Amino acid sequence: MSEAGEHSTTPVTLVDPIDISTLDPHFRNEIRSMPNGDDLYACFACTTCTAACPIACQWTYKPHQLIRMILLGMRNEVLSSKEIWECLTCFQCQERCPQGVRVTDIIFDCKNLAAEEGLVPENILGLGRQLLESGQLYQVTADWEREDLGLEPEVPGLDPEPMKAILHGTRTGRLVGGGD
Amino acid sequence: MPTYNLYMGCSVPANYPNYEISMLKVAEALGIDLVYMEGVGCCGSPNLRAIDYFGWLLVNARTLAIAEKSGHDVVTPCNGCFGSLKDVHHFLLHNSEYRTRVNEELNSEGLEFTGRVRPRHFIEVLYTDIGIDAIREKVTRPLDGVGIAIHYGCHLLRPADVTEFDPAILDELVRVTGATVVEYPLWKQCCGATVLPVNEALAVRLARDKLKSIKEAGASFITVVCPACGNQLDLQQLGLKTSYGEVYDLPVLLYPQILALAMGMSEDEIGLEMNRVPAQPILEHLTG
Repeated sequence: MSEAGEHSTTPVTLVDPIDISTLDPHFRNEIRSMPNGDDLYACFACTTCTAACPIACQWTYKPHQLIRMILLGMRNEVLSSKEIWECLTCFQCQERCPQGVRVTDIIFDCKNLAAEEGLVPENILGLGRQLLESGQLYQVTADWEREDLGLEPEVPGLDPEPMKAILHGTRTGRLVGGGD
Repeated sequence: MPTYNLYMGCSVPANYPNYEISMLKVAEALGIDLVYMEGVGCCGSPNLRAIDYFGWLLVNARTLAIAEKSGHDVVTPCNGCFGSLKDVHHFLLHNSEYRTRVNEELNSEGLEFTGRVRPRHFIEVLYTDIGIDAIREKVTRPLDGVGIAIHYGCHLLRPADVTEFDPAILDELVRVTGATVVEYPLWKQCCGATVLPVNEALAVRLARDKLKSIKEAGASFITVVCPACGNQLDLQQLGLKTSYGEVYDLPVLLYPQILALAMGMSEDEIGLEMNRVPAQPILEHLTG
């Protein structure tokens, strides 16, 4: 009896209702037109991707939910989520999808869309800056270590300039190199 | 003597010269001619792919286009570079619209991507072009009885339709040294390296899961074929001593180091002292 009393005024909802007016109906086509997004519609929400993901247990949005959110048009939620950036890119979800949905590739597409809107974690932006400014993620600092082993102190053939030039003309340049 | 375009990327030469030298020594002993590519740099890694897909396509298509000039396949010791080059190669071969756009850009350097040279991992070249039998003939000091757990690394294996890499290749390459392959439940799992920039605690936890699984399976050593995986599994063991109070004592060797030891090379030649977790037990086995 007391149980019924507690719940009589406030309905218990297990799922927060989605406000349809905030959905972007074009989001799914946007993703579909991106690299390897073609088979997005084939998802039937079986959650195999989530079962395969080694870190889904600590995510608010699981991989199958991210795909469902794309299909529903929850553009803001997906593009501002921490999950797309924590994706390990281990491709376990994509590998096991029975429908051939390229889940990891689609998460890469989401990150590119987020980047276009400037939604990039600071440390990832820092790596972009490093690539733009030095043309490499890692630079030889201990050349004596190389010499000790009988290697050339400088990496033969290495030229970081072409990458710098390329990235000045692409999104990396706009993101981190912009006006300065 | 088979000749290849050697694409080093940035991580191996900067962080793992012991990987570079052991690969070169093993290649030389097996008659593989690795020629450092001219005018190339970093592959950009999945981080560049995440923020700048087209930039990442261009950088890697350019590397492949340079290789096309000599016609030799591109060989790399790094899973990250392998993953980037394979993915770009596969994508551009199957997408003429992007291929056209990329070639319009490469044209300014007089380059063109057609896809006629293949990106390959060094160990796949060992297996396919040299072969297990020819390698066996060079093994003079077999690592009999040593239990080795293999960490393949995600971008070597997946997506399989892109990487086209059979994990049995590395199993056979370890067995030909006389060592035993120790199976463990988390063999497919990620080392956590890619999440380091955004969630270090998560990266440490993933490395720990992996190390626990390997330790419990009874392996003496781990072998890797990627500088990022190697760094994660080797270096994090030092951190886990303080953060979790756990000691794993699992030396992490780059595969060519293991092969080089089995071929009779000395630990100095292959920079074994640069590996952070001391590989003493394997040496005691060899000398004992």
